Parts: sequence; structure tokens; C-alpha cells
Amino acid sequence: MDKIWIVLQSEFLRRVQSRFFVLTTLLAPILLIGIAVVPGIMAAVALEGNERTVAVIDETGALFDRLQSATDEQFVFMQTSAPAESLRAAVQAGRYDAYLRLPAGLEEGAGEAVYYSSEGGGLSARSRIEEAVDQAVRQHRLDIRQAPPEVLEVLRSRVPVRMVKLTDEGEAADSSVTYSVIGYILGFILYMTMFIYGSFVMQGVIEEKSTRVVEVMISSVRPFQLLMGKVLGIGAMGLLQMAIWSVLILAGITFAGQIMALFIDPSAFDLPVDASRQEVLRAADLSIPDISPMVFVWFILFFLGGYLLYSSLFAAIGSAVEQPQDAQGLMLPVSMLIIIPILFMAFIIESPNSTLSIVLSIIPFFSPILMVVRYTVTEVPFWEMALSFFLLVGAFIGAVWISSRIYRVGILMYGKKPALKDLIRWFRYA
Amino acid sequence: MPSLTVDHATKRYGALTAVDHVSFSAQPGRILGLLGPNGAGKTSTIRMITYITVPDEGRILFGEKPVGPWSQERMGYLPEERGLYKKLRVGKQLVYLGALKGLPPSEAGRRARYWLDRFDARDYAGKKTEELSKGMQQKIQFIATILHQPELLILDEPFSGLDPINTGLLKEIIVEMKNEGRTILFASHQMEQVEQICDDICLISRGQILLQGPLRDIKSRFGKNTIVLEFEGDSGFLTEMEREGLLRVVSRTNNRAQLQLVQNTSAVRKRVLQTAIERTTEVFRYDLVEPPLSEIFIDVVTRKQHTNGTPEPAERPVVR
Repeated sequence: MDKIWIVLQSEFLRRVQSRFFVLTTLLAPILLIGIAVVPGIMAAVALEGNERTVAVIDETGALFDRLQSATDEQFVFMQTSAPAESLRAAVQAGRYDAYLRLPAGLEEGAGEAVYYSSEGGGLSARSRIEEAVDQAVRQHRLDIRQAPPEVLEVLRSRVPVRMVKLTDEGEAADSSVTYSVIGYILGFILYMTMFIYGSFVMQGVIEEKSTRVVEVMISSVRPFQLLMGKVLGIGAMGLLQMAIWSVLILAGITFAGQIMALFIDPSAFDLPVDASRQEVLRAADLSIPDISPMVFVWFILFFLGGYLLYSSLFAAIGSAVEQPQDAQGLMLPVSMLIIIPILFMAFIIESPNSTLSIVLSIIPFFSPILMVVRYTVTEVPFWEMALSFFLLVGAFIGAVWISSRIYRVGILMYGKKPALKDLIRWFRYA
Repeated sequence: MPSLTVDHATKRYGALTAVDHVSFSAQPGRILGLLGPNGAGKTSTIRMITYITVPDEGRILFGEKPVGPWSQERMGYLPEERGLYKKLRVGKQLVYLGALKGLPPSEAGRRARYWLDRFDARDYAGKKTEELSKGMQQKIQFIATILHQPELLILDEPFSGLDPINTGLLKEIIVEMKNEGRTILFASHQMEQVEQICDDICLISRGQILLQGPLRDIKSRFGKNTIVLEFEGDSGFLTEMEREGLLRVVSRTNNRAQLQLVQNTSAVRKRVLQTAIERTTEVFRYDLVEPPLSEIFIDVVTRKQHTNGTPEPAERPVVR
């Protein structure tokens, strides 16, 4: 049995059996699903049965009827001539949700309508009220000028725009928004896992050094074997954790869809009451998008490349210090390299085929996050993927080579807290 | 079984030469004591033997071949700075460390059980290492060192932190391994223990060998120049004789004194005994012996440092 394999096994089993692993593996998807599902349920709940009763002071004497017909079921308008003072009190007391003042002259485009509510309206209420008032005024002015029905028809018609994405395989329905969200999520998962698993490697190295067990270890295995066994063992743990997450999240999304469907009233989407849940979800635009399996393949490949690159650097840093606190200063340059892609993620999603995006997604330290994000939102030519991955593998081999040279000197150094220049000196030693 | 040969090994760290052309050999079936003040280069030498580092000059042979990964599997090393995986359970720890020495897990487990039994630590197999007392961890680490039945055993201060019962048990096992023909390297500052178990010694200071050879020969080379005196009563006469320049009081407790004779003549020896009888209430013991190893150690190390023009005193070894 090769010694790397023995170390790998031990590191893997030790970590997979830890309480931390079990907790994070089970809790992370619950948290993620919670974040995804709760707003959905909230929106679905808000969609129905939340009528607002609005008192209307119509000083124009012409708009109320049109307002009545312009609105959806969200608002119930009640005409009133009560003085503003008493309406104010009524809103405060909760007898009305709000009152709307339509000043004289509004029908001819002068002045502004004012919406008074105790809770400030909210975004969707604002746009709905605006649209209703707008429509009422427009309707009134068209009627006064006796516009022919054809014109009214023209104005009323809405032109739908369907987004279609062109791909090599032909046309596909564009779900840019969905893919952007998935791109973001995958990018953040890569960022989190490379950081967290990388610090596991670092902590493991520091622990071996501070407990002095490392001296026993390297009288049995070569430092390189110990380093690689640890990095690969923790990497295997990471893959297992992500595999479990994928299964849990897929199961969760399916299950979550069913739950969300329960909260949606089919009639809200002009569907029969006995419509299937799938139909409801599709109508509510909550269907699960199709993701190409290649996204997952590249995700795994770039995760492995990025993890190996960063964790070997973290291991070198860990070998230099005796306590995790002492590692802060040395970690800064490496942490920066992981954080930079996060800053560019929005840009890549916005314009995935710009020159900057292409270059950034090929640079080894950034490619694990940025290429996966880019691949999720757009078509990337195969040669770019291959080049990017090839460079990443090259960078990883270089990082392992440099790190193992620093590592084998660092693990035997005790005493003074080292600076970056000490690491460079150690690298030259061997 | 093969012997260990250190042949002009030199190790430099920057400007410091930690080990300077050191040569010695350790024979199967014998225990070699590696002695020296702190910072003498013992650990640097051991690290080259265990192939943790490689010499800048010279070579280290185990049998006929230079040490390497192959010899690591046939060596057991107990470093002075102990360390085990804290969270790992004792049984798994032993199997893991054994596997790294090439033992199949089942065999490692079987041997771990045998040794845990022998150290009366059977109940600890399922415990996390950090839950164990220091002495118990020490025993576990010793088991890990010998689990793969190494042909070369390197023990750096193996008895530190152990009670007398466990010290005795450990000594018994070390001698057992010696009798099985294994080569044993024993580094320690505890001269009494070195005297008890070592066959040969090698004294290093500042990266160089000051003294080496069979312990018996070295001691007889220094001759019987030491008197051990046990008595009851006032010991003031010793101070007077020391002032006269006849002897040096090496150690003095309530009723025991160890004296090194400056003038080792029969007249002086007679006078010491006579004065002791006259001035104390009763004399229980008068013994003319070879100097204890600790005296030889101090003598050799300080003399060497003085000749080098550095009056800085050597650290006194621990004498128990």
C-alpha cells in the first residue's frame, strides 16, 4: 500500500466521522432550501387574499369609475367625500388601508395623485396604484377626445416579448435569470468550499506541528506523502460532502416545489382548480430549470483543480506557524486570490463573452470560480474550457511543488513567527 | 541484524554547523548512549539517522546501504518532544502509525492489543488520546515506536514523565529488545539511567564527538578517584579539606558526600577516612569508586570548552 493512500484514508475517515462533518452536511442544505423556499412561500401567500381597502377623494369627479375598472383584485376602492382629517384618522385606526387623493385638474395632466397609507405602500403597491391611476387618466382623456375604438384597441394591446437563446443545438428557451442565479450559487459554493476545505488542510498541518506528532510522522513517511495524503483525504471528504448535498438539494427542491404549490391558488393563473402541481408551478414561473450535466462535470473538475491549488498553498502557510492566529498575515495574499473572483462574478454574469470575462476565466487562480460561473450563463467554446483547465492543472502542480519545499522545512521550525521572506528562504533551502 | 554507521556526517543550518564530521557506529545487541549538553547536535544527528533530514556531507549507513525510506520502516523513533493525534482513539492511532511502518492493519491491531495488555492499558484502547494522562500517552507513544519490531530503536529521553514502576517496565522491555539483537540508540541527560542500561556511549558537544567507546573502558580510563562517604554528624571537615586542595566535594547531602580526590594518593585517602571517623558521630560507608558518568560528562565538556577559549559553563546534567 502506498503511504499517500494510508494517510489519505486516515484523514478522510477521521473527518467524515466527526460531529462537524455530520452537522454541516445535514444543516447546510436545510439552510439553503430555507433561503430559497421561504421567500417563495411568502410571495405565494402575499399573492392571495391580501386586499387593500382604499378610500378615494375624487376631486375631478370623473376618474373614480375608470379607476374602479382599471384595477385588479388587489385594491377595493371606496369613493368618499369625508374631509382629509377624518380619513387620516380612519387610516390610522385601520378602517382603511390607505386613502388616495385625486386633485382637480389631474384628469388634464395637472398636479399629482397622492396615496396616503400607514405602512408606506411598498414597491408592488406603488406600481399597481400608479398603473391604475395612469390608466384611468388616459382612458378619460381618450374618451373626452372621442378617440375611435380602433385607437383604444391599439393602445390596449400589449406586445409580449419571448426571450430565446441561440445555442449550437438550435434554439432554447432563455432562462437568463435562472441561470444567473445558478451561476451565483455555484460560484459561492466554490468560493466557500475552497476556503473552508483549504483551511481544514491548514489547521490539520498546524495541529500536527503544534502537537509535535509531525516528527514521528516524517520518520515514517516522506513530507510530500504526508502533505498529499492530507490534501487528497480532505478533498475526498469535500467531494463526499458535496455529493450528499447535491442529493439532498435535488430531493429538497422537488419536495419544496410540492410545498409551494400548496400555497398557490390555481385560479390566480387562470388554471382550473384541479390543475396539477406541475402545471401550477410552471404557470407561476417556479419550475426547475434544466441544467446541463456538463455544468456539474466542469464544476467538479474546476473544484478539484482550485481546491488542490489553494489547499497546497494553505498547507505551506500552516507548516510555517504553530498557532492558527499566527497564520493571518501569511494568509492574506492567498485569501485575496480567492476573493477577487467574487468581485468579478456579477460582471461575468452580465457580459460573459467580453474580453475581460474571457481572460479572467482563463487565469488559473480565478478560473475555478469564474469559468464555472461563465459556463453556467453562456456557451463557452471547448478550447477555452480546455485551456483554462490545463492552466489550472499546471498552476496546481507548480503550487504543490513550491508548497512541499516550504512544508518540509517549515514543519521542523519552531520559535519565531515567520514572515513571507522566511518562507522564500526555506523554499531555497532544499 | 544490521548495524548503524554514521560516517563523517555534517549538517549545517545557515552559518551554524550543527553536526561537524561526526562518526560513530552502533552495534546490534548493544545500547549506545548518545550524550551531550543541550544544543550539542544530538537531535540533528538523530534526524539524519531517521532520514528526516539528509547530511550535507558524509553518509549514514544502516547495514551496507545508505538510510532512506526503506530504512524508515525498520526504525522506531521516539522523539524527545512527544506527540500523538489528540482526537484519534488510542487503538486507531496505533494501527495508523503501524500501517505507516508497513504493518497490515489486522497485524498492527493484534500487536497493539498485546502491548496495551503488557502496559496494563487495555481499557484505554477506545479512548481519545487527549483524555489520557501524560504518562499514559507516553506509554502509548512508546508502543507506537516498537509496534513494527524495528531493528533500530532510537529513544530520546524515553523515561521522562514516567513513575518508577513504569520506568522499570520500560527498562525491562528495552533490555529485552537489546537481547533480541536489536540496535538501540538512547539519548538522555539522566546519567544514572545511561550508566544503568548503556553498553557504549558517545558524547557530543557543539557538533563534535568528545568521547566515545564502551562505557566500562571509559570509566576505568578515569580510574578510581572518587570516594563515597556515608556518615552521621557534622560534615564541616569536608569544607576544610576542600580548602586545603586535597579533594573536591562533588555532592553533599545530610549524611552522604561524594568526593573527587585531587591528589589521589594512599596518604590522602587514609586521611579522609581518619578525619571522617574522628569528626563525625559514626561512619557507615567508605567506598573508593570510579567517577559517576555525570562527573565525566561535566569534566569532559567543560575542559573542552575551556581549551576552546570559551569559559561559558556547560549545562549541568540532571542527576537523579
